[in-house]
Amino acid sequence: MAAKQSKFLVGALLIVSAVGYLIYTSIQETKVYYFTIDEFLLKKATLANTDVRVAGRVQAGSIQWDPAALNLTFRLMPIEPGTIPVGTIPAGVPVSYQGILPDMFAEGRDVIVEGLYTPEQQLVASTIMTSCPSKYEPEIEERLQAS
Amino acid sequence: MTHLGTLALYLASLLAVYAIVTSLWGVRTRRTAWIASGTQAAYAVGGCVVIASIALLYALLTRDFNVEYVASYSSSTLPLHYTVAAFWGGQKGSLLFWALIHCFFSAIVLFQNRTRNQELMPYVTATLMTIALFFLGLLCFITPPFERLSFIPGEGSDLNPLLQNYWMTIHPPALYLGFISASVPFAFALAALATGKLGDVWIRTTRRWALTSWFFLSLGNLLGGRWAYEVLGWGGYWAWDPVENAAIMPWFTATAYLHSVMIQEKKDMLKVWNMTLVILTFVLTIFGTFLTRSGVISSVHSFTQSGLGPYFLTFLAFILIVSIGLLLYRLPDLKSANEFDSLLSREAAFLFNNLILVGLAFATFWGTIFPILSEWVRGVKITVGPPFFNQVNGPLGVILLFLTGIGPIIAWRRASWSSLRRQFTIPLVVGLVLGGLLFVLGYRNYYAVVIFSLAGFVLAGILAEFSRGTRARQVMLHESPPQALGRLVGKNPRRYGGYIVHVGVVLIFFGVAGALFTIEKQTTVGAEQSFAVGRYTLHYTGITEREDAHIAAQIATVRVLVDGQQIDTMYPEKRFYKKQNQPTTEVDIRPTLVEDLYLVFGSYDEPSGLATFQVFINPLVSWIWIGGLILILGTCVIMAPNPAERQAFALARTPADIRGQAVAE
Repeated sequence: MAAKQSKFLVGALLIVSAVGYLIYTSIQETKVYYFTIDEFLLKKATLANTDVRVAGRVQAGSIQWDPAALNLTFRLMPIEPGTIPVGTIPAGVPVSYQGILPDMFAEGRDVIVEGLYTPEQQLVASTIMTSCPSKYEPEIEERLQAS
Repeated sequence: MTHLGTLALYLASLLAVYAIVTSLWGVRTRRTAWIASGTQAAYAVGGCVVIASIALLYALLTRDFNVEYVASYSSSTLPLHYTVAAFWGGQKGSLLFWALIHCFFSAIVLFQNRTRNQELMPYVTATLMTIALFFLGLLCFITPPFERLSFIPGEGSDLNPLLQNYWMTIHPPALYLGFISASVPFAFALAALATGKLGDVWIRTTRRWALTSWFFLSLGNLLGGRWAYEVLGWGGYWAWDPVENAAIMPWFTATAYLHSVMIQEKKDMLKVWNMTLVILTFVLTIFGTFLTRSGVISSVHSFTQSGLGPYFLTFLAFILIVSIGLLLYRLPDLKSANEFDSLLSREAAFLFNNLILVGLAFATFWGTIFPILSEWVRGVKITVGPPFFNQVNGPLGVILLFLTGIGPIIAWRRASWSSLRRQFTIPLVVGLVLGGLLFVLGYRNYYAVVIFSLAGFVLAGILAEFSRGTRARQVMLHESPPQALGRLVGKNPRRYGGYIVHVGVVLIFFGVAGALFTIEKQTTVGAEQSFAVGRYTLHYTGITEREDAHIAAQIATVRVLVDGQQIDTMYPEKRFYKKQNQPTTEVDIRPTLVEDLYLVFGSYDEPSGLATFQVFINPLVSWIWIGGLILILGTCVIMAPNPAERQAFALARTPADIRGQAVAE
């Protein structure tokens, strides 16, 4: 009897450890650090060649959009002005993105940019998520994924 | 009307408190009059919530924009059906909607059991009313739906455009029905634990409720996928978004329960496990609601930061403490004398299927809350996205598909080699031949090859079961084939309905595996220019504009050609919802059984006349919806009224009650 039950225990343990192993390795392989733009700017020296997700605001007047090549560049700025000490200007980080513009992407919008921070100090976005600032509105994020 | 609504909510809260107190006090003092009074109060709670709901609907339909909720989620130009949908389109209304359905279900349960399960019912009433009280409390004190503005806006700010879609009007209610009906098995489980009547009466009583809950959870998830596919416009139907995860987690545990409960019915085993799954499913529904409403995790579907988080967490903690406390208290009584016999048995297949399903739920849970966990533990927010979930849940899903082929046909207790040979020869041959064929045909995506072969393996096993049963009836009872098939299913709807559900699941797997072959392309063209995607040539002719009071739209006309022959014309749109000052993308989808052509009108550059398109070729997606329909059909077969089952239940009730008592004493 005991041997019979232990076979089940072994089977169960195998499954449980497989699940655990999958979770552990997949997190190691796919993890992305999430920062607010302020945190990011403080730590960016250590983040070259890292996958990051950064929340910030699209700087007014910084958007350059080439509809033929589907190339977008803009500057991601702190959401609360004045949180970056004076003298560290230009604050923010340049972002480049290749693909279709998210529906609600516009100057002054709060966005979450996911992508790679290159050694050239540029954020190459694979995804830009926009959230709606209206206070009456459910928070909506439009996701667009580059291939 | 709104004053009446507010009043009704306060009254409902008071009545709920009264129902809880009298039910429990009635049991304690053994006074049935108290218990009966508690039941009446529970019905009255429902009545009050109905009045409050009518009041809110009235405010919406009469466009009373002085009510903050009405002004926030509707407008004077919003069509009627979306105005009704606005009832659950926002935070406050959806909580009221939740309370409404919960009270409706509670009333059905109380009515169904007005003469039955008398020992369990006071605890069931108390549990259901505690849950109702939580939502009513939120509605009275935290998010009052009838709150008025200090001014009267001339116009409302409209329902979110993304919600103005027919799938969206039915998807949340379906999901809510699934979430909320999970509270019925939970209430009975707690009642069984509280009374010590741990026999299978509570399980049999709630079998249909567990199925109903599973039915609506499945439906809600499928409709949600369909909505995302048509409305969000990113080319897919499932993104492992936190809110999607919130909806799928209870589905995993509920599916596990529907399987493991059979082991308890057959072998009187896994009692603790089943209790745990019922509790877990309910806890996950509340956790899911918490995820959507607290704003702790940002998502496509979530409501804004609302400060509801702490209340939900407190309620979750309360549920967990009570449930785990009761479970530990009764643990000695839940021991089973039986043991598993062999790894080659249906019990083993079900047990492993359960572990995989709970593993899926856990992995999904872990990935969803990982940002919060990592911030607590290491001070850094680390997120994981779709790649994580695909990497973990993909392989687990494949194992589950394999077990789907084993579980239904392998013998209970211990399968002999001869029975294994009889049952599994055909499916194995079909699966292997299919796999070999795909390999020879040049398919080198091994993931897909494995899934397709397993799909063949499972389907062949199920079809063999149907044909074996039908043939047996033809030979023994001289019935015609259709007659034999109909009676076969009719005599044992639970078994054959289950097989039909499995066919649906296999087709869904098949459709999802199509995503491994997705083609995506983005391109910018001028008017009367063409571009090629896969086997299609798309020819953009230009845009037309359309405008009404509600929406301004730019509609692209795209001709679809294959081998120089025009086969279709597609009209993807870029819409601008005026009230909300928000642009949205309306995709156009050309579905076929082989693949969907999914066309997104990305942007239109006025000065240059250049239009940007994003095109997806999504193979096999239609099979997900077909599989979904079959799954729904199969669940209906299982739930169909079944005289044989009712008789068995009536017979089982008395001895089971006695057995339950004997164990408790």
